Amino acid sequence: MSRLYERISTAIMEGDADKTAKLVQRGIDQELAAKEILDNAMVVGMGEVGVRFKAGDMFVPEVLMSADSMQAGLEVLRPHLVASGVKLIGKILMGTVKGDLHDIGKNLVNMMCEGAGFEIVDIGFNVDPEKFIEAIKEHQPDVVGMSAMLTTTMRAMAQTIKAIEEAGLRDQVKIMVGGAPVDAAFAERIGADGYGSNAPAGSDLAKKFVGAA
Amino acid sequence: MSSPEKLPVVVVSCQVLQDLLTGLLPAGLAEQVTFMDYGLHRVPGKMAGTLQEVLDDLEQPSLVVLGYGLCGTGLKGLRAGPHTLLVPRVDDCIALLLGSYHAYMREFQAVPGTYYLSKGWLESGSHPLKEYHEYVPVYGEKEAMWLMDQQYQHYERLVLVAHNQADLETYRPQAEEVSRFCERWAMRYEEMLGSDQYVRRLIELAEQLASNGASAPMADKDFLIVPPGGEIRQESFMR
Repeated sequence: MSRLYERISTAIMEGDADKTAKLVQRGIDQELAAKEILDNAMVVGMGEVGVRFKAGDMFVPEVLMSADSMQAGLEVLRPHLVASGVKLIGKILMGTVKGDLHDIGKNLVNMMCEGAGFEIVDIGFNVDPEKFIEAIKEHQPDVVGMSAMLTTTMRAMAQTIKAIEEAGLRDQVKIMVGGAPVDAAFAERIGADGYGSNAPAGSDLAKKFVGAA
Repeated sequence: MSSPEKLPVVVVSCQVLQDLLTGLLPAGLAEQVTFMDYGLHRVPGKMAGTLQEVLDDLEQPSLVVLGYGLCGTGLKGLRAGPHTLLVPRVDDCIALLLGSYHAYMREFQAVPGTYYLSKGWLESGSHPLKEYHEYVPVYGEKEAMWLMDQQYQHYERLVLVAHNQADLETYRPQAEEVSRFCERWAMRYEEMLGSDQYVRRLIELAEQLASNGASAPMADKDFLIVPPGGEIRQESFMR
């Protein structure tokens, strides 16, 4: 079976959506467990994409094609995941901070976190601190993820964390930050609980936060 | 008291600032001027390593003027070694094109989703239309457009920045062509007269520092001076 997993993983890395969907369906037809296909094939392929993207070995268009393939595979897989009664491991609220309209990185982290078993509440891009606060109150997430692609906008992460503190909500969530200009030292300076250096690292961090790692 | 030894000046800059810098650099000031590919910022994790090689290859301790902003994490970790580094304290090249950090922040806050074009970007850099033309042979027209949509659909404005009316007029046809392409995302087109003031001050400061052997680094909120043995840190750019 590992050969099929490898092919699915490769199809995602190569950004072939049709092939990914077809191979995932083949796995289902062969009565492989949906969760196994997700963990051993799809998350592996997409994780590799996340690592290569951050390292500069894959570029935006290729990553977008891969993300689209992952999505195509997830669409096939989702009903089977639900039917098999796989439990969600937690809830993540994700958004790109105020002033930043880039969402490719955030969407990759969402995909990895969904693959890891999280429920994702995506509040979009250019999200001001007030909207983060409202969404925390409404959705009661375990983890809040913030993304920024510009040096200019990573400052908004600090403002958002401060606003969450002032709203008295800081203790009920773990906060993770990431994006091109962000590093571990910055995350620590602004009082985040952690930093994900790439999409799979973000997902691993979220798992650690909910005790699922 | 003996006068401090004069430091040789070396300029290492992104290609998109080539025209601006060469137009303002006084003859004889710089012993070496190196322009690097504009695409370095796309992989910020590798940018410092590439620039480090240029610094490491310099044969004598120099005043290295960097034609860069922080550019993501692009300059982070760059080590001065035996050199003194002079860097504009800006997030990226847009503040240098507009003429001040203040002008950049004003524009950023007014319309965050702005894509800037300039002479340098049109000639040596990239823009959405150029990217589309690069994608088509690889992905086909339909996929190429889908990729473009994913990257630019949230942008609101395309701005051509030039430093004089003549340049605005020269580059307007090209910018308008890009603008017509960007209409699919309802991006509006504007023109802006920037200022070369920031780059002028960078060069003036370089002249002063070189002539006094960089022995008395001047405090200036717009510039970062990294002494020999120092390293560029991200927080030095936060203001």
